[in-house]
Formats: sequence, C-alpha cells, structure tokens
Amino acid sequence: MTSVKLYTAIYVALLVLATSKVIFFQLFDYWTAVSMTMVTAVAKTLLIVAYFQHLRFEPRSLTYLVGMGAFAVFLLTVAATYSIF
Amino acid sequence: MSDLPPASSVKRWLVTTNHKDVGVLYLLTALFFLLLGGVLALLIRMQLWVPGPSILSGRAYNEAVTTHGLLMVFWFLSPFAFGFANYVVPLQIGAKDLAFPRLNALSYWLYLFSGLLMMVSFFQGGTYDAGWTMYAPLNIPEYSPMVGGTTAVLALLMFVVSVTMGTVNFLVTIHYGKAEGMGMWNIPLFTWSILLTVWMMLFAFAALLGALLLLGSDRIIGTLYFTATGTEDSSLLWAHLFWFFGHPEVYIVFFPALGVMLEIFQTFSGRRLVGRKWVILAMILIAVQSFLVWMHHMFLTNINLEIKTIMMATTIGISLPFDLIVFALIYTLVKGRVQFTTPFLFSLGALLLFILGGITGVFLGAVVLDYEFRGTYWVVAHFHYVMFGGATALFGALYYWYPKMTGRMYDEFLGKLHFGTFFVGFNLLYFPLFLAWETPRRVFEYNVELITWHQLATIGGFIVAASFLIMFYNLYVSYWNGEPAGANPWEFSRTAEWAIDSPPPLENWPGRASYADGSLSFIETPSTTHAADGGQVAEPGVVEEFLEVHEPTETEAVHDEPHEDHASIWPFGIGVGLFVLFLGLSGLHGAELQGPHYLAAIAVGVGLSGYALLGFGFEQFHAPEAAIAERWPFEGIGKTKLGVWFFLASDVVVFGAVIGAFIFIRAGMGWGAWETVPPDPLPGLVNTFVLLTSSFTVILALVAAERKSKRGLLGALGATFVLGLTFLGIKAWEWSYEFSIGIYPQTSIEASVYYVTTGLHGLHVVLGMLIAGFMLYRIYSVDAYLEDHRPVEFFGLYWHFVDIVWVFLFPLFYLM
Repeated sequence: MTSVKLYTAIYVALLVLATSKVIFFQLFDYWTAVSMTMVTAVAKTLLIVAYFQHLRFEPRSLTYLVGMGAFAVFLLTVAATYSIF
Repeated sequence: MSDLPPASSVKRWLVTTNHKDVGVLYLLTALFFLLLGGVLALLIRMQLWVPGPSILSGRAYNEAVTTHGLLMVFWFLSPFAFGFANYVVPLQIGAKDLAFPRLNALSYWLYLFSGLLMMVSFFQGGTYDAGWTMYAPLNIPEYSPMVGGTTAVLALLMFVVSVTMGTVNFLVTIHYGKAEGMGMWNIPLFTWSILLTVWMMLFAFAALLGALLLLGSDRIIGTLYFTATGTEDSSLLWAHLFWFFGHPEVYIVFFPALGVMLEIFQTFSGRRLVGRKWVILAMILIAVQSFLVWMHHMFLTNINLEIKTIMMATTIGISLPFDLIVFALIYTLVKGRVQFTTPFLFSLGALLLFILGGITGVFLGAVVLDYEFRGTYWVVAHFHYVMFGGATALFGALYYWYPKMTGRMYDEFLGKLHFGTFFVGFNLLYFPLFLAWETPRRVFEYNVELITWHQLATIGGFIVAASFLIMFYNLYVSYWNGEPAGANPWEFSRTAEWAIDSPPPLENWPGRASYADGSLSFIETPSTTHAADGGQVAEPGVVEEFLEVHEPTETEAVHDEPHEDHASIWPFGIGVGLFVLFLGLSGLHGAELQGPHYLAAIAVGVGLSGYALLGFGFEQFHAPEAAIAERWPFEGIGKTKLGVWFFLASDVVVFGAVIGAFIFIRAGMGWGAWETVPPDPLPGLVNTFVLLTSSFTVILALVAAERKSKRGLLGALGATFVLGLTFLGIKAWEWSYEFSIGIYPQTSIEASVYYVTTGLHGLHVVLGMLIAGFMLYRIYSVDAYLEDHRPVEFFGLYWHFVDIVWVFLFPLFYLM
C-alpha cells in the first residue's frame, strides 16, 4: 500500500491532468473544453481519493458514505438550477 | 487529564466529559431555552389578544416571533432530544461512553454559548427580526441592520458547528461501539431513531452551515449573495439552501420523539412493537425521502411548475411510510395490555397531535391548496401540531427516564395532572388557529371577526405554560422526596439501561456488555473487577432474566482496556473563547467595525480560543476504543479515522453547497454573462501544482512515519507546511493585485462569489497548516507519531480533501 513509486506515478498523472485543463481551453470550443475539464477534475478526484486517501483499500462503506455526500450536493445543485428555468 | 470531582461540586459540571453528565447538562439547558422561548410565545399571544398594536412595538413583535421560532426549533427541540440521546444511547448499545467524550463536552459548551450569544443579541440594538426562516433579502443588513441581527446569525453558525461535532460523535458511537452480539436489527428503537436522525443531520446541517457562511459573509464582509440587486434569484438561493436543510430538519426534530414513542408504547403495552422490522425500514425510507421534498416550501415562488409537481408527488409519497408507523403503533396497543402511566399518556398524546399535524400538512403539500394556505395561520397551526405535538413525547421521555437519571420516582398524580392540563391547553391553543386560518402570519393585524379564536388560543397558551409549572414542581420535589426507583421501575422495559443501577455508576457497568449468547450479560475483565463501583441489579424483575455476569475468558483478558478519562476543562475554555470571538465578529458590518470594543473582543477571543485549543491538543486524554464491538458496516477502520471520514462527508456538502450556489447564481444570470474575476489563470495553475505537490508530500510523510523515520517525517510534513504557505502567499499576491485594480468582495456578485469560495478554501488551508504546525512541533519535541502514525494519516485525509476542492475551484473560477 505504501509504495512510493505508485504515489509518484499518481502525482505525475495529477500534474499532467491539471495542465491538460488549461490546454483544453486553448484547443477546443468553450463547452467541449468545459466538459473535458470537468471529466478531468473528476478523474483527478478519483485518483486522489482512491490512492492518496487510500479509499480503494478501505471497506467499501466509506466510499458509499462520501458518495452520499457528493450525491446530496449534486442533487441540490441540479434540482435548484433546473427549478429556475 | 484530571480526576472528576463529585457531582455536588460546580467544577464537576465544567470539566465533565461523561455522557450521562453531558446529557443532564443538555436537558437542563434545553429546558431553560424552552422557558425563554415560552415567555416570548406568551408575549406573542398577549399581543394577539386583540388585533393591532398593544403591548409590543412592531419591531419588538417581529423580534419576539423570530427569536421564539429560532430558540424553540434550534435551542430547545433537538438539544432536548439529544440530552436523552447522550444519556441513554450508550447505555442501550452497551457502550461505556460516546466515541469521543471530549468532543461531546465541546458540542455541549458550543451549544450553551451559542444560546448565550443569541440572548446577548437582544442587547445590541435589537436582535434578528425577519423570521426564523431568515428569508432573503430581508436577511441582509439593508433590511435587518442591527448588530444583534449579525450576532443571531453567528449564534446559529456556532450552534451548527456544535451540531456537526455531535453528529459525527453519535454516528461513530452507534456504528462503531455496539456491544458484541447487537446487530443492526437488534438496536433498541430509540437508538435507531437517533441513528437515523444523525444521518440526516450530517448532510442537512452541512447545507445550513454553507448557507450561514454565505449569509455571515454578506453581513460581516458585505458580499452580495442575498442582495436583491445582485440577481433576481438571490432570494431563491437562500430558499433552496435553507429548505434543503429545513425539510429534513422536521424529521430531525421529530424522529427522536418518534423513537421515544416506540420505546414507551412497547414498555407500557407489554408487547413488542408490531411489524418492528417494517417500522425500521419505514424510518430509513423517510430519512432518505426527507431530502427529496424541500421545494414544497417554495410553491409560491417562481420556480417552474414541473419541479413543483415533482415535489408535490414526493411529498405525498413521504406520508406513506408514516402511515405504516402510525398503524404499527396503534396495533401494538390493540394487541397489548396498556398501562396508562404519565410517560405513556404523553406518548399517546404525541401520536394524536402528530396525526392531526400530519393530516393538515397534506393540504399544504398540494400546490393548489398551498396557494391559498401559504402565509396564513393554517401553516402556524400545522407546524405547531407537528413539531410541538411530536415534542410532547419528549416530555413523556422526561418522566420515563427520570427514575433512571435520579434514582427517584416522580409523583404519578402530578404527572397525569401535567398531561391533562397540557393536552387541554395545547388543543385550546392551536386548534382555534385552524379555524382562524385566514389570519396572516408574522403580523399582529387580523380580522376582528376572528378575535374569539385568538382569545381562546391565548388562554390555551397560558394553560400550557401553567402545566409546565406543575412539571417543574413535580420533578423538583421528587428529586428530594420521591420514592426510590430501583434499577427498573417499569414492569415490561427491555432495554439495557434498566439492567443497571439508577442512576448508573460513572462507567455504567464493570467490564463490557455483551449479547453474544442472545441475552445481555456483563463480562468482567481483570482491571474492571477492581474499578467496579456498581452495575448490580438492585431489584428483582424482568431484567434479571437476561442479566448474567461472566468471568473473563483468556482471550478477553488480553483485550483488557486501560482506565478512561472523564474530565477536561478545555472544551469549556474553547466555548468561552469562541463566544468572545463571535461577539467581536458581530461588530463587523460591511467589513467596518462598529466600535473599538468589538476589535478588543476579536483579539481576546482569538487569544482565548487559541490557548484553549492548544490545551486541548496537548492534553493526554484517554478514551479507549472498545476492543470487542459490533461495527457493521465500518469494521476494521478505527474510530478516529471513521470520525474523520464522517466529518469529511459533511464538509463535502458544505463546500458543495457553496460551489452549488455559484453554479446556481451563474446559471440564473446566464452562464455567458458571468465575468471571470482573476485576469490570468496562471496563478491558479501554479497554485494547483503547489497543492498537488503538498498532497504528495503528505503521502511521503505518512510513508516516513510508517518507516519510523523522524527526519523523513519532519522533512515531508515541513515541506507540506511550506507549500501551504506558498499557496497562501500566491493567493495573497493575487488578491492584493485585484484590490489594486478596484475589485473587492463588495464590488459585484462575481467578485463576492470568487472571494468567498476561494477564501473558504483558503481558510481550510490555514486550518490545515495550524494542525501541521502543531504536529511538526510534537514530532520535533517528543518524537510523536513514530510509534503510532495514524494522526499523520488523519491529517492527510483532510489535506487531500482540501486539495480536491481546489481541483474544482481552479477550472470553475479561472478557466470558465
């Protein structure tokens, strides 16, 4: 679990993904870049949560716990925003 | 750690961390706020004796209505229920205490001091006066300019912090500390109700915390979230955030009362609850559904009809599991042999009142009817039947557990007299309000034809108040002269609290509780046979059937636990410090101080809080994790780590609410019309690299700690600290540049959202650095975390979370 090599690889991947967000806005139209950026942000989050916070190696119930929090705010944001259109 | 003084000493009550003591403190404090809220209610009813101005000015009436609502909903109902939860839940699940006893004491002190802050707000030019729902735009300083208004908002914020700590504590306690053999289906029903309550609280109160942070920012810094001129959707933003919390709050308040009803119905009908598993499933369903109905509080706003229709359907849907519970309760009585004791009468009364409150609520859940009823006394009558009606069971709980807490019986005749007076007064107070439903809410003007109903209601109000005098007299006199209650005064009680002395000894029982062989037994361990100071059944009765005392086996002796601590002064100290600090902050209005004394209060508050927090951090406080316990579904995680994860799940919602507010406002304005505040994404990108690197160094710190390398740990954690400082430095440079070109938090809605969201994140970085600094000092001075690296891991979990938030903030605020 505590493999420095693995952590380093993930760190490098995170740096690359972070840089890619800026590049998306140079290469693609606005909404494509927004979509790709958000997908990238989610990918980065999953990497950090799974390995740096080692949720991958914990009981699955912890993942569900955090997932419930994320779902709650997703629901609030989407439903509230939808309500004004 | 210091020894716990005797109960007769004042010091005991300042330092105690024991769950039973804290429970008693909660109960007494909540009853004090009931009195305070009750006096305000009587003022309101006196004012309404005739329509129009009489004893109160318009402002004073608004303050009385607002504060009555806030005090009753926040400072009385839930804390009263959690007084019982503190006392009873550990006993029912076979735990020695809550998972984090010092945190529990801190929750209590923040609760008390938040209430005191609320009281102080009356003397700062008037308190908040725009309704307990704090609707925008009345909640911003232009419309509620008094310093006391800001104090009330800060008091509520402090209360929510207290609730969050309590929530995490109870979640870990119940999920992680149940006695061996007590599976989820075996949890007593009161504890089940508390478990579901804290699950709802975890997410609901986080949304409220997010909303209050934004409102606090509007009032203190002068940002524009809820200013009507910022965007036409500002008031909807508050309504969404508030009711996303507010509807689950109805069940958060009601569930503990429901748990009491379930418990008491079983005890006094001598019968197991009919359909027990189905009732539990129905409660779980309600807890989930409670998050899907919030917009039924917004039917008269301009949200679209489609979403109103969906919310109408989900609202009707939530009544179905309630029907199941009500029928299960009624059928339990039908099948049982009912004993009409005082606790039972209050529970039965609560059921009747709640049924009436529930049925009248169905009217409000229908969009068309709500157009007519909204803003009238129909709503007032309905929610008092639901909230106060439900709370009626909590007074039953007071009588039910009074013998356990004091060792004395209350006077049964006076108890029944209290119930009779209360029940008559309650219905005389609230039922006429249904008949006078055309009265508009929140004002003292009404059609003179309705005067009879209002005068009846006022008389009812005074009868309810008088009934509580009977209760206080009964409980006071019985405390000194009541009959000794013994361990179990009730014939058919089955839960574990009745198997031990009344009141229970400090550590509840010698050894540990176990249900491994299907019935309750106490397994003694070598150390506890010496420490035991009670735990015997005083009276023969039903509990004796399931109570056995086992000698420890060899394996169990290995799990012998060291002595627990029960005293710390630091939670009280932190409470005092934050009270002074928040009082000082209330003097900030649009980033300008209202007087030098507020600055002094801020300085003293920071000093006191910092000193107490350091004392808290350095104190050796031992609250051992039970070696053997039922922990589904969180086996093998460790109690502190589980606590950190519960906290992070709640923080996800706090940040999510703040980021969601940004998306909502921007979408409302037209996505493309939004002007990005930072002129250049480069500083944001550099800070992204800095934070990602700091996450990497935290992981390296954990690796170093696991390898017991002091130098590696100091280096990696030190690098994290320096990187945090770099992040803040770049942020400061960026902000100072924006200030220099005239972009302040008050400049525009875009600037407000940018500064508040990134500022809240920056505050998390600062908090993380304070913890890192503390840990670095401990590593340097006492070689900390080399033997036990878990604190480094816990800190890492938090720091990575802060990093993840930035992963989203960077594109949202710099690139889009």
